[in-house]
Amino acid sequence: MQDNVLELTRVSKRYGAFTAVDDISFAIPRGAIYGFLGPNGAGKTTTIRMILDILKPDSGSINILGETSALNVRQRIGYLPEEKGLYKKMKVWAIISYFATLKGMDKRVAKARAFELLETYGLKDYAEAKVESLSKGMGQKVQVLSAVAHRPELVILDEPFSGLDPVNQEVLEQLIKDMAAAGQTVIFSTHIMQHAERLCDRMLLVAKGRKIFDGTIAEARAIIPRRVILECQGDIAPILQMDGILGAIEKNIEHSHAEPLSIGIRHWELQIQEHTNPQLILQRCFESGIPLTRFDYTQPSLHDVFVHLVGSDAKEHHFR
Amino acid sequence: MKMIWLIAAREYAENVKTKGFWIGILLFPMILIAVFFFQSMLAESAPTRHYILIDQSGQYAPAVEAAIRQEHQRRILQEFVAYVIEHRKEANPEQTVANADAQIDQLIDDVDAGEVAALDQWLESGGLNFALTLATPYLREDAPPFVEPREQFIQAPLPEGVDASASPEAIIEQMRPWLSGGRQLRVDASDGSDGSDGSDGSDEETSDLFALILIPAQVNNSILRPSATPLAMNQSSVGIQYWARNLTDVRLPNAIERSINSTIRNNEFAARGVDADIVREVQRTRLPVSRLDPSAEQGQEAVSVADQFRQWAPVGFVYLIFVSLMQSVQYLLSNTIEEKSNRIIEVLLASVTPLELMMGKLLGIGMSGITTIIAWLLSFLAFIVFYPGNQAEVLGQFLDVLLSSDLIPYFVFYYLAGYALYAGIFLAIGSLCNTLKEAQSLMMPMIMILMLPLATMTYIAQDPNGPVARIMSWIPLFTPFTMMNRAAAEPPLLDVIGTTLVLLLSIALVLWLSGKIFRQGVLRTGQPPRLMEIVRMLRQRH
Repeated sequence: MQDNVLELTRVSKRYGAFTAVDDISFAIPRGAIYGFLGPNGAGKTTTIRMILDILKPDSGSINILGETSALNVRQRIGYLPEEKGLYKKMKVWAIISYFATLKGMDKRVAKARAFELLETYGLKDYAEAKVESLSKGMGQKVQVLSAVAHRPELVILDEPFSGLDPVNQEVLEQLIKDMAAAGQTVIFSTHIMQHAERLCDRMLLVAKGRKIFDGTIAEARAIIPRRVILECQGDIAPILQMDGILGAIEKNIEHSHAEPLSIGIRHWELQIQEHTNPQLILQRCFESGIPLTRFDYTQPSLHDVFVHLVGSDAKEHHFR
Repeated sequence: MKMIWLIAAREYAENVKTKGFWIGILLFPMILIAVFFFQSMLAESAPTRHYILIDQSGQYAPAVEAAIRQEHQRRILQEFVAYVIEHRKEANPEQTVANADAQIDQLIDDVDAGEVAALDQWLESGGLNFALTLATPYLREDAPPFVEPREQFIQAPLPEGVDASASPEAIIEQMRPWLSGGRQLRVDASDGSDGSDGSDGSDEETSDLFALILIPAQVNNSILRPSATPLAMNQSSVGIQYWARNLTDVRLPNAIERSINSTIRNNEFAARGVDADIVREVQRTRLPVSRLDPSAEQGQEAVSVADQFRQWAPVGFVYLIFVSLMQSVQYLLSNTIEEKSNRIIEVLLASVTPLELMMGKLLGIGMSGITTIIAWLLSFLAFIVFYPGNQAEVLGQFLDVLLSSDLIPYFVFYYLAGYALYAGIFLAIGSLCNTLKEAQSLMMPMIMILMLPLATMTYIAQDPNGPVARIMSWIPLFTPFTMMNRAAAEPPLLDVIGTTLVLLLSIALVLWLSGKIFRQGVLRTGQPPRLMEIVRMLRQRH
């Protein structure tokens, strides 16, 4: 068995008739940056709360840092909840230090650590300010810092990027990378795919309480067949006969383009097999005398994977 | 345990920083100072009231004037007695009827016992001047001279153009602008004793008309006698008419009624051939009742002021518990709701267990409540030490009485028990609500319950081992208050031990149940739950 910091086995949680989390299993190896993705209401926060033993699962088991309850290893975990809030009347350094002491840090060490973190992540000038005087984004940074001040082995961040401007999102990404470099395991939930794409080693995708995908980013991309986009006048029938072409869809994309297509230009999306070489398609186009105006071969983005996997589910909200 | 301490320490530190905390601490000494320093000032600042007297019968004006003079003398007497008590050489709280050693004591005692007799004696023996001569040897050398209070009720002349001999209805009609406050009376500014001369314009100022006393010519027809059939009371204005907008200050109408009735009775005595002096003498005859306490040592049975204080002190403690409890549970509630609405609670629960969080809060806020009480007691002590004069000495002796009785341990126990019980309940309420507004509707019934011991506090002090007191003692929500209330009356051992056991069990139960609610409540969002949901929460096993 691999050295896993967290293992969930067939975990479920129901609120009355509503099933928030349905039979989820996954494992997270030590030292990974793990993305926890899913549309709103997918059960991410409930799962995280169960991992932290704030909520009890109705069935299934959780193993965290070798224990059955996070409460036994509280001091080795750092947690940033989805909804952010701090004591408004406390000083910035004091609140970071307070949460660190609750995690078992010595008072003086915690205070020094608070100032160190504030300096590193650009809040030095606000150390003595009261929390209520901070902007929302600064407050959130303070809260992230207070969640990780005690150098936990396992850091769980629920939607850490929401509400941050691009510059501070980068600061936070750097913080996550720093922690991973220091050997800490980071789990974060988000629905902004770019962050997951840039940061994660592995990702878990849930929707409607069920696990939909668990694996590396490359594996995720492989879920969606790779695509070749062609634009040309006339038909592309000769290409469709090629090996490795799974199908073609003609799309009317006039509305989505700033510049409308010229008259008679048609837009095709080809789905191709993993091993198919796009060069061959291009070659066939020339051979068949198809006058291309556009040839485009792209990796599917995580965004596409996400929409592909949960698209229809995420649009409809179910009454809980 | 360490976590509980950390949370408690933060709660305490944050609480101590709030304005409300300091207001709570400073308010008590400020009230104390206000009561003692400004008491006399407040009495003096009572406004001078101007009244108009129209006596068409020609019989009762002297009686009314006498009544108002007497009312003034009564005030002088009361203030004089207060003055003597404050500035005597030796305050003696153990003083009783039996060991009264001077005429001064007699006077003080008379004022306490029955004012009418004391006032008569006061006036007969020469009033203030005589009393001052009598009291001077007993006053301390540094006592300030006695300041006679101002007259409060001053007769004003009838405004020009109003005909005093017109029919009562016509007079009232003419006087209406003054009675309704629309017009002001012209009165003498310096002193109202000699009426108005109006010769010097600079001495005049204006004033509201406080009351119009109108005695109709045919007033004697309205005299009620037990033998005669009562008059048809269809008229609202039979007898003497007292017109005033102020309905709360009844000293003047009461004094007039007393005095005129005494005049009428004297006339009646005369008409029936009874000597009025004999009647007065009979009325002033009295047999004192010595109050003795069988539980006291032999020779000490006489009930002293200190004994009475000992009996009533628990009421003060009940009130102290109530005030401090109200303050603490408010903090607990608003504080829990802050953490809930800010979602800080989730971070906390990832670090500590709900029980640790709850206990930490309980402890932290409890400590600040105790801090407040200690600050109050300290300021009370400082007040006794620094306040000049005998009143504070009396307070100091009361303090000795308190410390020598077993009330303090009772208070400490019932304060802590009451706090644990109510704090548990209010924490559970706080955990269920997201805003203070939501909490208010759930708090209402609790506040009503808390009001009950306060409402019955005086009654229970009078009948400390009666059925009401005993029944309330056995209801855990009331036990801390009611048993504190009864503490001085040596309640039966069964009550003391039994209610203590019930109370301790209830505290354990409440803390256990509210721990359950707290655990589930703190993570709840949305509307506060309905009753059934709370029951489900209580059933849930975590």
